[in-house]
Amino acid sequence: MNGVLEHLSQGFGVAFTPLNLLVAAIGSFFGTIVGVLPGLGPINGVAMLIPVAFAMNLPPETALILLAAVYVGAEYGGRITSILINVPGEAASVMTTLDGYPLARQGLGSVALSLSAWASFFGSLVAFFGIVIFAPLLARWALAFGPAEYFVLMVFAFCCLTGLLGSEPVKGVLAAMIGLAISTVGVDANSGVYRFAFDSPNLSDGIDFVVVVIALFAISEMLQMLEHVVGGLSVKVPKSGRKLFNFAEFRFTLPSVVRSSLTGFGLGVLPGAGASVASAIAYANEKRITEQRDPDAKFGRGDMRGLTAPESANNASATGSFIPMLTLGVPGSGTTAVMMGALTLYNITPGPVLFDAQPQLVWGLIASLLVANVMLLIMNVPMVRVFASILSVPPWLLVPGIVCVSIIGVYSINATRFDLLLVAGIGLVGYFLRKAHMPMAPLILGVVLGNLMEQNLRRALAISDGDVVILFSSAVSVAFWVLSLGVILLPPLYRRWKKRSLLPEIAE
Amino acid sequence: MNNRILGIAALALAAMMIWQGHDLQAPFSYEPLGPRAFPLLIAAVMALCGLRLAIRGGGQAPANPPGANTRIAAMFGVIVGYALVFQWAGFIIATALMTLLVGRLFGGGWVGPAIGGVAGSVLLFVLFDRVLDVVLPVGLLGAWL
Amino acid sequence: MLSASLAFTRRLPGRAFAAACLGAAVLASASVAAQAEPRRPECIAPAQPGGGFDLTCRLTQAALQESGALKNPLRIVYMPGGVGAVAYNTIVAQRPAEGGSIVAFSGGSLLNLAQGKFGRYTVDDVRWLAAVGADYGVAVVRDDSPYQTLDDLMQALRQDPAKVVFGAGGTVGSQDWMKAALTAKAAGVDYKRMRFVAFEGGGEGITALRGNHIQAYMGDAAEAVTTLEGGAPIRILAVFHSERLPGRLADVPTAREQGYDIEWPIIRGFYLGPKVSDADYQWWVEAFEKTMGSEAFARLQAQQGLFPFSLTGPELDAYVKEQVRQYGELARSFGLVN
Repeated sequence: MNGVLEHLSQGFGVAFTPLNLLVAAIGSFFGTIVGVLPGLGPINGVAMLIPVAFAMNLPPETALILLAAVYVGAEYGGRITSILINVPGEAASVMTTLDGYPLARQGLGSVALSLSAWASFFGSLVAFFGIVIFAPLLARWALAFGPAEYFVLMVFAFCCLTGLLGSEPVKGVLAAMIGLAISTVGVDANSGVYRFAFDSPNLSDGIDFVVVVIALFAISEMLQMLEHVVGGLSVKVPKSGRKLFNFAEFRFTLPSVVRSSLTGFGLGVLPGAGASVASAIAYANEKRITEQRDPDAKFGRGDMRGLTAPESANNASATGSFIPMLTLGVPGSGTTAVMMGALTLYNITPGPVLFDAQPQLVWGLIASLLVANVMLLIMNVPMVRVFASILSVPPWLLVPGIVCVSIIGVYSINATRFDLLLVAGIGLVGYFLRKAHMPMAPLILGVVLGNLMEQNLRRALAISDGDVVILFSSAVSVAFWVLSLGVILLPPLYRRWKKRSLLPEIAE
Repeated sequence: MNNRILGIAALALAAMMIWQGHDLQAPFSYEPLGPRAFPLLIAAVMALCGLRLAIRGGGQAPANPPGANTRIAAMFGVIVGYALVFQWAGFIIATALMTLLVGRLFGGGWVGPAIGGVAGSVLLFVLFDRVLDVVLPVGLLGAWL
Repeated sequence: MLSASLAFTRRLPGRAFAAACLGAAVLASASVAAQAEPRRPECIAPAQPGGGFDLTCRLTQAALQESGALKNPLRIVYMPGGVGAVAYNTIVAQRPAEGGSIVAFSGGSLLNLAQGKFGRYTVDDVRWLAAVGADYGVAVVRDDSPYQTLDDLMQALRQDPAKVVFGAGGTVGSQDWMKAALTAKAAGVDYKRMRFVAFEGGGEGITALRGNHIQAYMGDAAEAVTTLEGGAPIRILAVFHSERLPGRLADVPTAREQGYDIEWPIIRGFYLGPKVSDADYQWWVEAFEKTMGSEAFARLQAQQGLFPFSLTGPELDAYVKEQVRQYGELARSFGLVN
């Protein structure tokens, strides 16, 4: 423990140099903006800044602090458009729309923003302490996760998804299947066979996640706005006088914030699971747990716990994903993968040795994560007013702006006309799906998880030469099987039990 | 839009996947499942969901207000056009045009969206292309930028 | 080139007009100053940000700037898909005359090109510009593995191919799989009977190796060095190159030294569109030659983990075409293409 404190004080020594403080502030601000812009997520922000940081000859720890601040800032910024206009600013804030937007519609937009800023901060804080404690110890644990364990983890993720299916389970399952179908397009990562690519090289690597998200959450949303609005009133949210959440709301949401932070951190540490998965699982868990205890829970219709859960989780996961990157050199998310690219530019190799060889870099980065989070919380509470003022922009300017920035986002990572057209096409399909009341969250999760699930299952079977016992042979996988069963079976049992125990009371 | 149409669309998609996927085969493979199993499983579940929806019916969505369908079709057309000319005309010209047309659909007059389109596209070009180093196409203005 | 341009005008009148405009713009700028550098120079990385192609572009960006060969900043455009297939098709069909756009390619791109995975275009459809470095295949096991030499591994493989599970960071038919298949072949084992697990990228594969889910990992020298320096307990059995590599891997014997004839270089470089003017092509060749001679370049190259491999202009063109021919033969011998 002494060693940890010593390292931390060294880290804060690095973090509190004027240059690093300045860089953390710039990164946090820029990251928030990148997060706000739909279609631009942390990965774009980080990738954009790598050449700038490299060209400016920043020392490696400073460059890394800049990129980390952008990453965390984007997780804060992503929630803003989710809440205000139902367009997730980045993938990890898809879940935030479910209750954030209804809250804004009820006139609680500003309260939702400050409350979610706090939830994000708390998530990061939990993950920060998690990193300090676990990062030096964790190098071995992740090795337990082979393909079989990953497959079971995905099964668990899909079982959690049953909580997201909405009022018509058939449509939820269908949406998940459409998402999974999208994930099968392109080269099969195992056999190299092209699936559903129709001989087009543009589909050879499949349909990019960014394309799907922009199409479903920006383009189809804009199409749907045209149904009723000509004057543009539907973007306007009636403003409440209150900007800050009150103590009752703080206490009301605290259990969900704590639980989801821990969930998010745990999932962030797993390589490859990422912030979007973490926010989805945290939301589903919270919904399940809360609805059993509280008959007044109104998840999906503006429950504050449905807002704080994914926000705590995605920040905790983003911060947590630094652990596999720093300890193992395995990126825990797409964004940390890009950051690893930045490290190699500096000829620095992430891995367990890094903690010995470059303590000022590792601990400086870890300390700066906390510093950036404090800055972001400070920025995000008073500036809620500034962000909320996005709403007063007239729709004839806002909508083209969203379309334009969305297209820029797609173009910046896929500079082909094909992908731009694909966004338009999937956007139209998405509009019809919305009209048919299809839930979008299972669809998106299908896209994200489909490939991981399929490939890890096939890898596991290749390792065992076709023997399915491998899927049940380790403690980790058995644990996740049990959890999966629990997630599916417990709620109906619990409901039945509750009904029985409640009956006498009602009879009285 | 109702459940029957949705169900039939799902059945059609599933049929397409089965038709395209039934003969997916690797020249040789090192695992028992191969590239075909997963897509076919998805298609089967999708077909079941589609069948259920098609038989059950119902879920009729309320019709759009008059004129909305035309506006939505127009908006879709503008986005497709934007995607088509984005590289050729260049970011600034394409975006200014798109802003003008979409702005009109959303109830702006001619003047506001026109000014907003030109100013906004130049601003965003400078911000992304020059400040943030996200390369955007210059297109027809290539000689001046 | 002729056939490509015919196909292109026949199929895509709208694009032809666009290309003509772009072409005219390029020609106009080229004629103003014959040897001036192309306007808006950009490096097309056929991958997501952070991928291998991105790093190749960044290396070149930094090197061209440091050597002063390029005054304007070289900007990076991402066009992922099919190990370069999307970029290849886009450049040949839609943007064939852009003198400022260099496109990154790798040995993996050439292998896919040879297998006909780049659509209807062939190796003759672009102008090969420069190779800026190379990487080499390596065979990796855990430090405490029973296989302490390549020969140990080969003997085990011969005795029972089912006992050794190979992993690699790519699909069947990819250059990562090739390394495993060539190893099996060198041991006299049917490549269809070896056990093979495809991972997505090297990180997952190395982790699986360390977790003992697989027994041998067929990777690249650069990533192996990075992993070693990260302190991972791995052992590199052999380098698939004609000679030993410099630096950290100097002690690792080549496969040939151990009696197995396996060589697997993966070059990284750039090409230009088919209709780029000779003046622009020549300008780039000279810029690359000037840059690659400098000491700064060697430093940047080493930072990226690439090993020296410099070829430009006609020499590279000949090398690439020969390589694609060999890859095609190899793919046929493995039954990957008919």
